[in-house]
Amino acid sequence: MAKPKVAFYWCASCGGCEEAVVDLAEDILKVVEAVDIVFWPVAMDFKKKDVVAMKDGEIAVSFINGAVRTEEQEEMVKLLRQKSGLVIAFGSCAHLGGIPGLANFWNRDTIFERVYKEVPSIANPKGVLPKTKTKVGDMELTLPEFWDTVRTLDQVIDVDYYIPGCAPPPDIIMNAVSAILEGKLPEKGSVLAPDKSLCDTCPRSEKKPEKISMKEIKRPYEIISDPEKCFLEEGIICLGPATRSGCGEKCINANMPCRGCFGPTKEVIDHGAKGLSAIASILGIEDEEKLSEEDVQKLVDKIVDPAGLFYMYSLPSSLLRRKKI
Amino acid sequence: MAERIGVYVCKCGPNIGDKIDVDVIVNDVNSIKNVATAKSHNLLCSEDGIKFLKSEIEKEKLSRVVIAACTPKMYEQKFMKACEEAGLNPYLMQMTNIREQCAWVTPDKTAATEKARSFVIAAINRVLLQEPIEKKEIDIQPDVLVVGGGVAGMEATLTLAQKGRKVYLVDKSPCIGGLGARFEEVYQTMECAPCMLAPEMQDILQKENIETLTHSEIEDVVGSYGNFSVKIRKKARYVSEEACIGCGACFEPCPVEISNEFDEGLSKRKAIYLPFAGALPNVPVIDKDNCKKLKGEECNACEQACPFGAINFDDEDKIIEKQVGAIILATGSMLFDPKSIPRYGYRKFDNVLTGLQLERLNASNGPTGGKILLKNGKEPKSIAFIYCVGRKEKGYCSGVCCMYSVKLAHLLRDKLPDVKIYNLYTDLCLPKKEHQRLYNEAVDKGAKFIRSDGTENVTRVGKNLVVQYKTDTTKKKVSVDMVVLASAVEPDESTEKIAKLLDIPRDEQGFFSEEHALMKPFGTPLEGVFIAGSCQGPKDIADAVAQGGAAAGRILSKLIPGEKLELEPKVAEIDEDLCSGCSTCITLCPYSATHRDEEKKIAVVDDALCRGCGTCVAACPTGAARAKHFTKEQIFAEIKEVAK
Amino acid sequence: MKDDKLTIVSFLCNWCSYEGADKAGNARLNYPANVRVIRVMCSGRVDPEFVIQAFKEGASGVLILGCHPGDCHYKKGNYKTLRRIYLLKKTLEGFGIEPERVRLDWVAAGEGERFAKVANEMVKTIEKLGPLELSEV
Repeated sequence: MAKPKVAFYWCASCGGCEEAVVDLAEDILKVVEAVDIVFWPVAMDFKKKDVVAMKDGEIAVSFINGAVRTEEQEEMVKLLRQKSGLVIAFGSCAHLGGIPGLANFWNRDTIFERVYKEVPSIANPKGVLPKTKTKVGDMELTLPEFWDTVRTLDQVIDVDYYIPGCAPPPDIIMNAVSAILEGKLPEKGSVLAPDKSLCDTCPRSEKKPEKISMKEIKRPYEIISDPEKCFLEEGIICLGPATRSGCGEKCINANMPCRGCFGPTKEVIDHGAKGLSAIASILGIEDEEKLSEEDVQKLVDKIVDPAGLFYMYSLPSSLLRRKKI
Repeated sequence: MAERIGVYVCKCGPNIGDKIDVDVIVNDVNSIKNVATAKSHNLLCSEDGIKFLKSEIEKEKLSRVVIAACTPKMYEQKFMKACEEAGLNPYLMQMTNIREQCAWVTPDKTAATEKARSFVIAAINRVLLQEPIEKKEIDIQPDVLVVGGGVAGMEATLTLAQKGRKVYLVDKSPCIGGLGARFEEVYQTMECAPCMLAPEMQDILQKENIETLTHSEIEDVVGSYGNFSVKIRKKARYVSEEACIGCGACFEPCPVEISNEFDEGLSKRKAIYLPFAGALPNVPVIDKDNCKKLKGEECNACEQACPFGAINFDDEDKIIEKQVGAIILATGSMLFDPKSIPRYGYRKFDNVLTGLQLERLNASNGPTGGKILLKNGKEPKSIAFIYCVGRKEKGYCSGVCCMYSVKLAHLLRDKLPDVKIYNLYTDLCLPKKEHQRLYNEAVDKGAKFIRSDGTENVTRVGKNLVVQYKTDTTKKKVSVDMVVLASAVEPDESTEKIAKLLDIPRDEQGFFSEEHALMKPFGTPLEGVFIAGSCQGPKDIADAVAQGGAAAGRILSKLIPGEKLELEPKVAEIDEDLCSGCSTCITLCPYSATHRDEEKKIAVVDDALCRGCGTCVAACPTGAARAKHFTKEQIFAEIKEVAK
Repeated sequence: MKDDKLTIVSFLCNWCSYEGADKAGNARLNYPANVRVIRVMCSGRVDPEFVIQAFKEGASGVLILGCHPGDCHYKKGNYKTLRRIYLLKKTLEGFGIEPERVRLDWVAAGEGERFAKVANEMVKTIEKLGPLELSEV
């Protein structure tokens, strides 16, 4: 029987998801043995025309990582959707928008101004900005359109499953691939990771008291975190309670609080809203009756960039999706 | 099966009918999917209206109902009952307010109609997502635990103890009666306190439905309203309550003498003792910290003296477990120790006493048999009362000290007709209908009342105590034989421990926090745990008794033997599969209605304690918590329509 | 812009502000019809997702009214609301939504006049700010 055909594609991404596949180490051989990779721009020499030439649905599974922010990316993901049986959104960017999604606090104009004119390292005396169409001699060069808004993969095409994480850990990837190959997938639209949040598996929850005392906000650089204490107890904002588990708490074990890259659990629509609701609800709760409105403001003002913090990975997938232009 | 929603818009006579074009709304709504019928009615809350509603539900085979009328705060219950009687679960009805919040506040008819229409459609969208909720009832234990056998606790105990219900009265001291039993006479009736309380105490010790556990403390409480499991530590008494007949032969031979705390240190007691003559139950107790034998030394004095073999040195603490439906805390108060304010000279100079010490001197079962004597055995010729001792430090007026000082002034005058009595007060607190009269009589009998500025200072000059004070701006002083400090009332020292045990809040002064200062002064945020007496705040005997009765009354009305307890239906529920044990809900619930299931490592809601506020649901970061009848989806459905 | 296009979604708590709004009705006080009410048991039930969803569905302002601090029928719900909404407003600023578009205030059960005052003030504030007009995505 022919091996199932598989494609990997990257949109607005850092390349970390491609590395995650490579990080499977010996396990990658199992994957390579079981499937026939027909398209992988970073690693193999297949071209777009090869994909175009395929029949609809000929590719069993396409793993697409990265968020969608250019015309080229939109075209490619739509093409892959047409030619694929299953499309998996691979990694935070495809799933939620990821770090590139933070561009949704800006737009094309402000980004171009910053990148091509304002940054200290740029040398662009004439203030040249890229344009969609540019005349070079008597020829016209066309660049893919660069949109104001970064979108998640499922905002552009129909997505079957999501493999979360920045980048998805090897075991999550292997479990997902095995499930696909064995045909043992959950209902369509599922995120292929446990349904609970990090607190369920976090090593710091062993000694967590029944009631959490978060007296004030501290930023991670302000203290050296006690590896046995829940971050919230120390005043450090950790999005663990609001974030899907399955990552193995790599950040937590490295003494850094969770920043939410696995996204929300299935009942939550807006990751940032729930994260900020939980934090605000327990912050300063012990003396809450004594706090005046100014005291509350002082307490909360210690959170320097709440929009960026609570929506670090999930901005395009949030209810509002982007800052009002 | 397709839903059949009945939409009924009430005209409320001209109230809504004149301000809103009801027919337009009814017409519009009729064509909405799932709406089986939409009608208007002139007065839905009338007998005719209710009949109409019920017949509509049956006739049209409605699966859900929307009522657009006045504020649900008036008739929602009425309409819910009508639905129930017509066979429709009452939670499948949504009522929307188009009168108080629409017709009556919007002058323009078109705008009002549009707003009402939006409300009705929002209600239709919401009701489609509503779920039937069944009344939840639980079996209960009708028995009650009363902690504290003072006047409040005793009133509660006697009120509750009846057929079908047992009351367990626990007191940490070896006797019942609390503070009240240590006074000789009480204001304002000036009657003898032991006589006043004796019938109650006898009743308690003899009544079948009451089990009194003195020399006992509560150690652990688990469970919730209707079903508490309490562990009581019955401390070793070393004297058998069954064998002892109260002859008192064991006291005299005991070689150990220590300060008697029940006489406020004014007398000595033995290691085997009764707190005071007449204490009930009339069974002595051995103080294990001071008894020679129990400390390992040789002594058998009391055992040898007892004609009934009631002494048992092998006695041990026992843990007794009881199942009760409710708990009343009546743990009382104590007097503030003026030692911490050096200017009063307390414990520095002889003959500076607290009010309670003077009470004990005055008591016929006290250290002097009721004689008012100085340390040197002589009668005082002059006494100064200093009021408001500790008031500034505590930040509140204890409300009883002025009255007990006035009372003591009366009693002193009766015992020592020529004694000079000076009352140095800053403010006089004589709140009740008889108090002023008692004060006037004290003045008539010759007690002097002098307003000072609260800066009294006590020193010893020769044989006298000199109290320096200021009236307005003039410095004055008075020389007396005895100084009595009307000291502030503090919560009993057991209050902190009990509050921690039950996880109930205390106020800034350390008293148990009442659920609502005005409407629920005898409840706590923990459903099923009530407070009565001075553990809630300083008060006199009349108020303590009233509060004990009130707390008992609440229990009598809800915890009925043989009947079930109905719970709040609109509670929060937590999906086990989604809850990750983050503890956000546990941290924020003021009713401690959620707790951690250590085995499953998730949070669990106790239906008996949840009041349905939904605060935990809004905070739940995984969406595991859900508010019955106020779910996210239901609210979103309303938002979708009204935000347009 | 017509008044009734600048919708203000108002979350009122069952025990205090909802009754206060009823009292305003009893007294026949007026406020514009674009103030739309959603009843919750406690202001503590107001999930930040509700506020954001309201804006997304077309509201130009969101009003949340609870019991005065210290008087919450459920003891302490409104204290959480206070912290949550302040943090939410700060966050929404990052989304380009002016903090004045979300107002948290306290109205007691008997305060009909206060309810009308707050409702009218909110309408004026939103009129000044204009419709929200979120970006099409």
